Amino acid sequence: MENILLRKEIQEEIEKIKEADILIGIPSYNNARTIGHVVKAVQVGLAKYFPDKKSILVNSDGRSTDGTTDVVKSTTIEDSQSILLHHRISPVFKIATPYHGIPGKGSAFRTIFEVADALNVKACAVVDSDLRSITPEWIELLIKPIIESGFDYVAPLYHRHKYDGTITNSIIYPLSRTLYGKQVRQPIGGDFGFSGKLAKFYLTKDVWETDVARYGIDIWMTTTAVANNFKVCQSFLGAKIHDPKDPGADLSAMLYQVVGATFDLMETYSEVWKAVKGSEKVPTFGFQYVVGLEPVSVNLDRMIDKFRLGIRELISLWEIFIPKEIIHFLHKIEVVRKAEFHIPDEIWVEIIYSFAVAAHGKVLNKEHLLKSLTPLYVGRVASFVIETWESSAIDVEKKSIDYV
Amino acid sequence: MNNFLQKVIIEPFDRFIERLIQFLPDILTSIIIFISGIILGLILKSVFLRFFRVIKVDKLSERSGVVEMIKKGGLKEPLSLIFSRLICWLTIISFSILSLRSLNVPVIERIFERFILYLPNIFVAAVILFLGYLLSNFLGRAALIASVNAGIKLSGLIGKSVKLTIFLLAVTMALEQLGIGRETIVIAFAIIFGGIVLAIALAFGLGGKDIAKEHIEKKIKGEEKKDDISHL
Repeated sequence: MENILLRKEIQEEIEKIKEADILIGIPSYNNARTIGHVVKAVQVGLAKYFPDKKSILVNSDGRSTDGTTDVVKSTTIEDSQSILLHHRISPVFKIATPYHGIPGKGSAFRTIFEVADALNVKACAVVDSDLRSITPEWIELLIKPIIESGFDYVAPLYHRHKYDGTITNSIIYPLSRTLYGKQVRQPIGGDFGFSGKLAKFYLTKDVWETDVARYGIDIWMTTTAVANNFKVCQSFLGAKIHDPKDPGADLSAMLYQVVGATFDLMETYSEVWKAVKGSEKVPTFGFQYVVGLEPVSVNLDRMIDKFRLGIRELISLWEIFIPKEIIHFLHKIEVVRKAEFHIPDEIWVEIIYSFAVAAHGKVLNKEHLLKSLTPLYVGRVASFVIETWESSAIDVEKKSIDYV
Repeated sequence: MNNFLQKVIIEPFDRFIERLIQFLPDILTSIIIFISGIILGLILKSVFLRFFRVIKVDKLSERSGVVEMIKKGGLKEPLSLIFSRLICWLTIISFSILSLRSLNVPVIERIFERFILYLPNIFVAAVILFLGYLLSNFLGRAALIASVNAGIKLSGLIGKSVKLTIFLLAVTMALEQLGIGRETIVIAFAIIFGGIVLAIALAFGLGGKDIAKEHIEKKIKGEEKKDDISHL
């Protein structure tokens, strides 16, 4: 991949700026509608909480065609009084540049890491370009633990609807907590803080031509920080509301990408997790509060039908690597009534471990293996919804943590 | 009488003995070549069996579905053993042919020549069949998983159809390579495949038009209640 620092315009900018204390990175692709709000929140956050620090905003763009980078360059804080700023606002340096390499968020992040390295930045944060709920306080919460408390990695902590984040709650969080011994609640949140030291460390890893560059960057950043003994914490950011993604986004592709990246990292860090016993809490910053959230509609019948179809058609595939007792259970649950539909935690854990072992042993083509997990995952979600239908969000959150 | 015996029995017998004596070295050479072939075949079987186990052919074949195929064919031995036996038999057969050739009989030489010229076709056809089987397995499974994830009730049929179509295509290509009913096979395949596609189109267009209308309306009007869950 071409080093972005060789590009003339970026070199000139970096020579002008020389050094910076804080860098906020925003990856983007055709986000002209939403990125203005994010840039404003970042600028206000930096002005309010770090007025004496030299800061830079880096927009790493995937060659947008809707004028995203123009919006970034032209967005300013028009009225400092309305946001209760009474001191002079120093300008935030801005670099808006297309990234190079394999199209994907990871390549965008690499550009941000490289600028951070070139400017010898002390603290960095990355936020999504389609956030509706970002506030200036997010900048304080992602950067302050690094600058004032010496942490290297700040994971986000959101308040979510009890049925949101089911891949995180049922697979990624329990797996990464068990493997690496740190209770990072949202390992693939998408908005992170990290030290300049950690950014340099990320750049030493040769992952930029792999799936990490395409879609595995979030879990890779968290796992790399935890597994390499960097100081990790999390900050409560409130609700995460962003532009609705394409409603046709394929669930099986999401599972393949996220779970695939997690399994690949298990291979990389096998010597680390083999020695881990138990898990510990990570320090949590920010004042936690309950946020009113939009209701989430769920079509249970459709989910259970999909699960049953999966059992009918894919059971012969699963028999290759899933234990007999689990297969026997799946045959039994295929015919139960909706009210009795329940996949216990122990069964679900066995299923995930079977898939992990099968991925390690290369029993099947990896894409076939992980996409075949989809009906089982949908069944698990249906079971979870039925089990927690009457429960509050707090009870559900407690259950999600206890089940690990 | 003596003349008669001399001409009818003794002289032909003498000629026969003479020819046999002339032929004996060739027979001896032929037997030696044949026995050498058997010994070499057994040695190669042992060597290749070890080699295939070192490069883990059995494990690779389990992933690709070849083991499934040979089990269905009634063979229960591991692929490494099957391959090494194949090499053994190929060696023995090759040496058998050489031993026949060493007899210097013109008819045998002509048959041998035609057989040698045909061998590359057999090899290519075997490779086409093997690759076709692997591809049919792979794509059939991909189609099955994709259609299950899309919630299509006939996903099993879709998966099997994809697998069968690709395998039939491979068989057609292999038969064409072997020169067996060249044009007939290709035309028959085109007719069958085209017929199936036409039948499906007619069935969907005429017989299933009400269902298709209902399905398309649901999709366009978004009447099917979807989930709002944000999975990540």
